[in-house]
Amino acid sequence: MFEVIAYGLTIGGILYIVSIGFSLTFGSMRIVNFAHGLVYAVGAYALFALLPVAKGNFVIAAILAILASLPVSYVIEKFVIRRLYGKSIDYAIIASYAVLLIGVDLIKWIWGASPVPISDPVGTSVSFFALEIPLYRLIIIGLSFLIFISLSIFFKKSIIGKIVVAGLADREAVLSLGIDIDKYFAIVFILGSALASLGGILYGPISTIHPYMGFRIVTLCFAVVIVGGMGNLRGTAIASYTLGMVMAVTAWYWGAAADAMIFVVMAVVLIFRPIEL
Amino acid sequence: MLKILNNSVAFAIGVIVVGFVAFAYSASVNKITDFVIFCIYVLGFDVLYGHMGRISFGHTLYLGAGAYGAAMCAKYLVPDPFLAMAMGIAAGAFLGLIIGPIAVKTKGAAFALINVAFNQIGYFIVLVALARYTGGEDGVSLTFNSYGFVNFGNIHFLFAFCLTCLVAVYYLMHRLYGSAFGIMLLGIKENETRVRFLGYNTSAYKWVAFIISTSVSAFAGALFVINYGFANPGFMDPARNVEVIFAALIGGPGTELGAVVGGTAYMVISNYLAKYIARWEMFLGAALLIIAFGFRKGIMGYVRELVEKRIKANAMAAEK
Repeated sequence: MFEVIAYGLTIGGILYIVSIGFSLTFGSMRIVNFAHGLVYAVGAYALFALLPVAKGNFVIAAILAILASLPVSYVIEKFVIRRLYGKSIDYAIIASYAVLLIGVDLIKWIWGASPVPISDPVGTSVSFFALEIPLYRLIIIGLSFLIFISLSIFFKKSIIGKIVVAGLADREAVLSLGIDIDKYFAIVFILGSALASLGGILYGPISTIHPYMGFRIVTLCFAVVIVGGMGNLRGTAIASYTLGMVMAVTAWYWGAAADAMIFVVMAVVLIFRPIEL
Repeated sequence: MLKILNNSVAFAIGVIVVGFVAFAYSASVNKITDFVIFCIYVLGFDVLYGHMGRISFGHTLYLGAGAYGAAMCAKYLVPDPFLAMAMGIAAGAFLGLIIGPIAVKTKGAAFALINVAFNQIGYFIVLVALARYTGGEDGVSLTFNSYGFVNFGNIHFLFAFCLTCLVAVYYLMHRLYGSAFGIMLLGIKENETRVRFLGYNTSAYKWVAFIISTSVSAFAGALFVINYGFANPGFMDPARNVEVIFAALIGGPGTELGAVVGGTAYMVISNYLAKYIARWEMFLGAALLIIAFGFRKGIMGYVRELVEKRIKANAMAAEK
């Protein structure tokens, strides 16, 4: 049972790290950024490509991979989402979907369509009540808590964070104070993309990486956002860990049903949620 | 000319019938039957996108529901093609009935992804959960009864039947959009809040439109199964949603003829040009980007603009 809890927290932690950026774009612009999934996949593949360059040093390769995936998200934000946002939300969604399609095909072109394994960078396990839990997973759990705490402080204490929180609550009011809210959202967008890329990097060694992983994470992030509430930062965290746990418990009984179960939970939440999205 | 484009459904149906028959017997009847069925699917998709302003990224769920409804009926009840079609449509309508109330609460991005989520559940169900009955990844192969000349194994009869279905669906959609209900949908697309202020229960209208869309899509799925003689999870694959989105967008959303033109255009590209296009998904993605940035009215919108310009020029010439 402890094994299941540890797995649930690991998956929940990665979901949280990836969802936070997705939730902020969704909350601030009502846009599903499919390209967020692309950044996640690019992070994982960049890690795969950079591991030999960094001579097997996982941390250096991870930092390089995040830096490598940032231009991707910047270009998407600048040339696709910004340009379409004011005109039509539908076309902004379609365009970000198109970007994901192109990106997935590029990944298939460069690295092939079959899944690629990445080996566990830590390798050792920790004994815990007569159970073997890979140390790497514990590191992920710790890292996700660390990110949660730093983001909480960031959004409560720093001026950028405060402006963004205010902008999520009432965009017009912030604008009328003479603050260029879009600039701050852009900063947070880049931050969220860096975290998405980190999520892909962390997920790689747990499972395998494959070109379509971006599609999958977008729908999972969406479920997190529906359950946790749009642009609701604490809700996103709670929903991520809860859904991670749902996935782990389902996978314990029936591995193939884990993803479907998430969407069932999401549907149930939607039925009882009175607000219109 | 503009009047013809706007009003004459008979003219449009004539063009569709003559066009497809000529196309079928100069190319391949088998292939063009596929084109015709796909056009029905696009018509179903466009109920939501073109007329209600809701874009679904999970519409293969309803296509697949029709396909599996028909296949399960043929495999485990009786291999009667008409009953199979009815069961396929019923499966789609049932999904619309239960998913509709949840989905139509939302719009924009949330609507798009809720359909994807349900699509994932459906894909899991046919691929894994019910694999004992659906044959899992391999799917099921089927044969259907034939009654005299009503023989769906005969490609000429099948083609004629599917074309008749397309014409019927086209006509029904045309009547639907011309009715008060269709105008209500357009009102919801433009400004739902105002329609609600007028005292209409918009949720009910959206629900009905959703069921119409899922049923028509499921009908196309059932026809595909009868055409191919098998059903596999490919019909419900969430990754294939881009096909119908692309078709609806390139043809020109919001017009029945646009859906048929778009469906045909997509099928022509995927059947005849795909072998020259090395990176298929990249091609579709790039095309979607171009559509999103500069070709929003689609082929039919473009044609309409040309015709309007010509008429204006003619009128000015007549005045002089």
